[in-house]
Amino acid sequence: MPGFAGSMDAAHEIFARRETPVRDLAGQAEQVALACHAMAARFHRGGKLVVFGNGGPSTDAQHVAVEFVHPVIVGKRALPAVSLTADVATLTGVAGRAGLDDVFAHQIRILAEPADIALGISSDGEDGNVLRGLVTARERGMLTVALTGGDGGRIARAAEVDHVLLARSADPRVVKEVHVTTYHVLWELVHVFFEQPGVLGQEVVA
Amino acid sequence: MSGELASLYPFLYAGAGDLQAVLAQVRQSTVDKTSEIIALRAEVAEADGTRIEECAGRMAAAFDAGGRLFAFGNGGSSTDAQDLAGLFLSPGGDAPPLPAFGLTNDIAVVTALSNDVGFDVVFSRQLGAFGRAGDIAAGLSTSGNSANLLRAFDEAARRGMLTIGIAGYDGGKMAELESLDYLFVVPSSSVHRIQEAQTTIYHALWELTVRGVQR
Repeated sequence: MPGFAGSMDAAHEIFARRETPVRDLAGQAEQVALACHAMAARFHRGGKLVVFGNGGPSTDAQHVAVEFVHPVIVGKRALPAVSLTADVATLTGVAGRAGLDDVFAHQIRILAEPADIALGISSDGEDGNVLRGLVTARERGMLTVALTGGDGGRIARAAEVDHVLLARSADPRVVKEVHVTTYHVLWELVHVFFEQPGVLGQEVVA
Repeated sequence: MSGELASLYPFLYAGAGDLQAVLAQVRQSTVDKTSEIIALRAEVAEADGTRIEECAGRMAAAFDAGGRLFAFGNGGSSTDAQDLAGLFLSPGGDAPPLPAFGLTNDIAVVTALSNDVGFDVVFSRQLGAFGRAGDIAAGLSTSGNSANLLRAFDEAARRGMLTIGIAGYDGGKMAELESLDYLFVVPSSSVHRIQEAQTTIYHALWELTVRGVQR
């Protein structure tokens, strides 16, 4: 296995800093599998994926949406997914009237349906609008999934969130990189379940 | 006999209805993917670490001299371009904000150019309108073959901008381009792993650039 042995220059040190948080994701393989199973069951029921986040994670939300709608692997079917960060008119309109905390919850109340999946992405787990989006999604009967960082923050502790996957780093750049791997894996493994519909109706036995 | 094989390959013999077997397969897949990206990052650091530092030094000098960054890409790479521009413009914490534009942010401009002229010019025309000598053009592509990136790098070089390409596979057509000052290629055939390592490359460029600027 390649490593970073020996003296390290600045770039090597930056790259090496990613390794432990990525390994930590491997330690969450069980939680990843359970989240994918639950997400696949929602898609199977006709649900769509609704993704949201602030700042850097707003671009991740758009990345996740395009990942599902237009898969890079030929032959994988398109699954419905929408980012709540792409409509600047609605974002700034709601933020101006009701405040930033309501920008995602508003769109979820009007655009989402009970069979859908809410995926909130937050670098430190403290974003008020991501938390409110997830809580609103739960009230609507949606499946709720969160990608968070740091110690998971308020979002990881919220009872309304069904599945939490944590990028254990205080550096938002490292968190983002672990999130990218996480949602690539989520996409791929949702398809593994989705292609075997016989397992989608089964309950996971803990 | 079949019992023996089933114990060796439980997934094959479990049938479509065995949830536990699929869960086990899926768990292993997550572990495998994380090992792949860790190894790939180490490979990129080994191959390109020194050039990343050198490139960041050039970027810092460009910002110090009043340059701006323009970032662009298609699809998933467009979100990385927006993330990269946003990272410079609004990094949070103690890092200095630096001028950067994402060339996919304005959907009116993107659709107008695509509809009226063609998708190949969506980035080059914007660089033609905004770009100045001393600015920085950074384009991301997993294949290295995106025609609109190739056109953009040529336009940027004509204008005297610092040009930086981030690609995957073997670099594709970007590897043949004379208009690129720096090309970083993630040597993988997985679009997903390429994007993950590309994110680290631009994060490293940002971190080292911010360390290098005189403000």
